[in-house]
Amino acid sequence: MADKKKNKIVLMKGEATFHYIALVIMTLFMLFCIVPLVLMMTVSFSSETSLVHGYRFIPEAWSLDAYAFMWAKRATIARAYGLTIVVTVIGTIASLIITSLFAYPLSRKDFKPRNVIAFILFFTMLFNGGMTASYIVWTRLFHIKNSLFAYLLPGALMGGMNVMLVRNYFNANIPYSIIEAARLDGAHDWTIYSKIMVPLSKPIMTTIGLFSALGYWNNWTAGLYYIGDPKLYTIQVYLKKLMDSIQFLKTTDLQDEAVLLAQRSLPTESARMAVAIIALIPVLIVYPMVQKELIKGMVIGGVKG
Amino acid sequence: MSEKKTRSTEFDDVLKEQKKEQRREKFKNDFPLYLMMLPGMLYLIANNYLPMFGILLAFKRVNYSIGIFKSPWVGLDNFEYLFKTKDAFIMIRNTLAYNAVWIIMDLCLAVFIALCMNEIAQRRIAKVIQPIICFPSMVSAVILSFLVYAFLSQSYGYLNTVFFKDNPIAWYNTAKYWPFILTIVHIWQSAGQSSVIYMASIGGIDKSLYESARIDGATKLEQIRYITLPLLKPMITMMLLLSIGRIFNSDFGLFYQVPLGNGMLYETTQTIDTFVYRALMVSNNVGQSSAASVFQAVIGFFLVLFSNMLVRKINPENSLF
Repeated sequence: MADKKKNKIVLMKGEATFHYIALVIMTLFMLFCIVPLVLMMTVSFSSETSLVHGYRFIPEAWSLDAYAFMWAKRATIARAYGLTIVVTVIGTIASLIITSLFAYPLSRKDFKPRNVIAFILFFTMLFNGGMTASYIVWTRLFHIKNSLFAYLLPGALMGGMNVMLVRNYFNANIPYSIIEAARLDGAHDWTIYSKIMVPLSKPIMTTIGLFSALGYWNNWTAGLYYIGDPKLYTIQVYLKKLMDSIQFLKTTDLQDEAVLLAQRSLPTESARMAVAIIALIPVLIVYPMVQKELIKGMVIGGVKG
Repeated sequence: MSEKKTRSTEFDDVLKEQKKEQRREKFKNDFPLYLMMLPGMLYLIANNYLPMFGILLAFKRVNYSIGIFKSPWVGLDNFEYLFKTKDAFIMIRNTLAYNAVWIIMDLCLAVFIALCMNEIAQRRIAKVIQPIICFPSMVSAVILSFLVYAFLSQSYGYLNTVFFKDNPIAWYNTAKYWPFILTIVHIWQSAGQSSVIYMASIGGIDKSLYESARIDGATKLEQIRYITLPLLKPMITMMLLLSIGRIFNSDFGLFYQVPLGNGMLYETTQTIDTFVYRALMVSNNVGQSSAASVFQAVIGFFLVLFSNMLVRKINPENSLF
């Protein structure tokens, strides 16, 4: 009973106004954040004929046409979707393994070269060769154009920041005495890494794993730079190309028969939004479950640049 | 006496031998550690260090047919050409202007949102509001461009068919609207996320400070002014300094994909990052692209060093090095 009272908001005179203003402002800001998503959602459920009058929050006529259209195009869309899942899963797992493997020796105080290596890592956070140089290295030296590696490798696999976060977590949360004790018992470094370090650092691994997964899922720039083969489109790249074709039609003379024909085979207005919704759905589903970890990650990531 | 000496030399030898053995043992022990770092090290070389040498490209006239290594050196030609064009002025101006305005605006908004959130933190609805206002940062730039398109499309967009019915505006062809459009989109995408960090700092402030201020009759605004803001100051300064290090960078997705890569909008949407992309992939001008990207990387490097130096002076704990 006493606890309940304590949690209740006790407001003094004048404070009430302030409190309610804050409440109203935050509610409005929340609506501002939701509204575009709602518009996209309702457009995807609108009938094509009603959209001629424009996109509306409440459709003049509801319809599942857009999703039926996508079902008709399922071969392409499912392929892109599947590829996105594959890239996200492989990328996230590989990234977590490489990052934590790199972080563990750095956290070992008895590992002599750790300062030199930490500097090599750290320098990459200060300086980079720029996008052009990186593009040329990846395409001319490693030939990753039009391969799945284009999604997995450039810039995404291991970042200095993540290694530092994991190393700091190891240092702060796993007492050195545990490692020493394990070594006295004859445990090898691989055992210490896999049986002690990784299981004990679940929170930080979850956080960077989530951000890494989100990065892979949302990665569309790799497609922009490295992918030309439609068979290798992920859902984001497919969406990007979809948007390009709309723009192309808008800027071309519509009298052109070929263009008119092309337009007919393009997804309809509502279907475009439906594809965008489909690409967003996994994020929408997973986000509520993991938002606490993500927000925690934003705080650590934000403070450390 | 002499017996003692021999004894100690013997002892030294044994010690030395032991040390050697220890060192050998140590390397044998450390070997797995080196092995663990191997994949990461290879990745750093490929992803970070090789491109650093790629900087040399900016001083060459790259000709793929004769190969990059054989391409002739041209000194600063690429930079000279680049800075003679109007493009250079536009992209640097845009990058700096958007950053300058947004750094200040983001800061004010983030602190404001954090203050409001803190005020309603005890309500149940805060647990709903916080994740929702952070959600936009999870949306990819491509999906973002669809969201914006739903509002701005000339013939179907919400704005033109509801508010500008008689006088539809060609949003995607008119450069002067884009500073405002991009600012709103940027706020939508990042304001909630950037407030989180201040929310965390405010949450860490000792509640008894507010209690005693209230007893002394301080109003909410006075509490904010004399307690919250002064205590947030170190965090604010630090975030400001960190953003100075990134003042020559821009969000490529926002500036390229949200305006749909439209050429008519260069005047207000071209930044260094979009130029680097366009020169490399669209107009196939490797020289100018690498000149611009090296310019950005080098200045960025010094700015990061500089801002970090200041951060270290103020709060060593938060500095990168």
